[in-house]
Amino acid sequence: MGLLTNILLAPFLGPVWGTRFTLDKVDRAVREQLTDDTPIKEDLMALQLKLEMGEIDDDEYVKQETEIMQRLRDVREWRERFGMSVGGGPVRVAEEQETE
Amino acid sequence: MTAETASASELAPGEGKYVYCIIRNDRSREFGEIGIGNGQRVYSINHKDLSAVVSDTPIVIYDPTRENVLAHEFVNETVMREFTLIPMSFGTVFRSENDVLALLRSTYQAFTDVLDKMQDKIEFGLKILWDRDKVVAAIERDNDEIRRLKDEITRNAASSTYFARMQLGRLVEAAMEDASNRYVTDIHEQLKSVSVASRSNKVIGDRMILNAAFLVDRKDEKGFDEKVKAISLQYEDLLSFKYTGPWPPYNFVNIKLKLEKAT
Repeated sequence: MGLLTNILLAPFLGPVWGTRFTLDKVDRAVREQLTDDTPIKEDLMALQLKLEMGEIDDDEYVKQETEIMQRLRDVREWRERFGMSVGGGPVRVAEEQETE
Repeated sequence: MTAETASASELAPGEGKYVYCIIRNDRSREFGEIGIGNGQRVYSINHKDLSAVVSDTPIVIYDPTRENVLAHEFVNETVMREFTLIPMSFGTVFRSENDVLALLRSTYQAFTDVLDKMQDKIEFGLKILWDRDKVVAAIERDNDEIRRLKDEITRNAASSTYFARMQLGRLVEAAMEDASNRYVTDIHEQLKSVSVASRSNKVIGDRMILNAAFLVDRKDEKGFDEKVKAISLQYEDLLSFKYTGPWPPYNFVNIKLKLEKAT
């Protein structure tokens, strides 16, 4: 949001096509951020390590885990909204392979 | 009312199958009520001499919570006591027994090949973290140039330049990276004779210098174990070791299953 405002209010707006190009790029960056669960999974692994190393207790773990699970669900929801593939959920053997 | 009933029946275990792993087995097998979702019954679905180890599940997406992941791992650990297994990814759910059979049928040859290759192999995880302060102290002790520069800076605290401090920082960083590489190479070298293969994963956080998985022959399990203990003694002043296993060969089985979303 802040980034968008900065770009929109920038005093040195270029030609229209330039602005649109920038907005497209921002849009893509935002979309990538909304739909990428890699950093969330890394946070989860880091959290797990903290528990294993005795740096946090079970209660703290569960508390932070709940937040991370919510973030994962949010990403899943955005991915569905953008029509991207989603991990988890029921699967079956892909059609082509069955006929091999 | 009808909608409620429909969603309730969606949540009832029964229709879906959660798949934990694939094993070589041609009889009906029960593994106890240890499955994901409050101790579901874990059993086998068979096709020729292959079995999928499954439990009944509603059609849901499982969050990778510790509880769920531990349930998944516990089933595989239990099965592993008797069988060589190919672990499935966490959260793999099929709609029906028929869909699981389709998987076993269509991937029969690949599963068989991998099971042959993984026969009597187990995996160990080794994460190594360093204590930055101790490593820096060791570096200052062993590296003349760094020690001299540091002494100089401390002696002339007031007049020592920003540049000298920057230079010290850079030297220490470089020396630490060297040290990390040296430790990791040495440890890999020592474990080579007691393992079949190893794989390094991305390190977690800024204290970890190694996050590796080792594939070990069951007959070398004791040897591997002893070696890891010896290494952790050798480095006990500098590094802490997080050693886990035996695991199923999570990091060494790489079958690309052609699965698609079941709608």
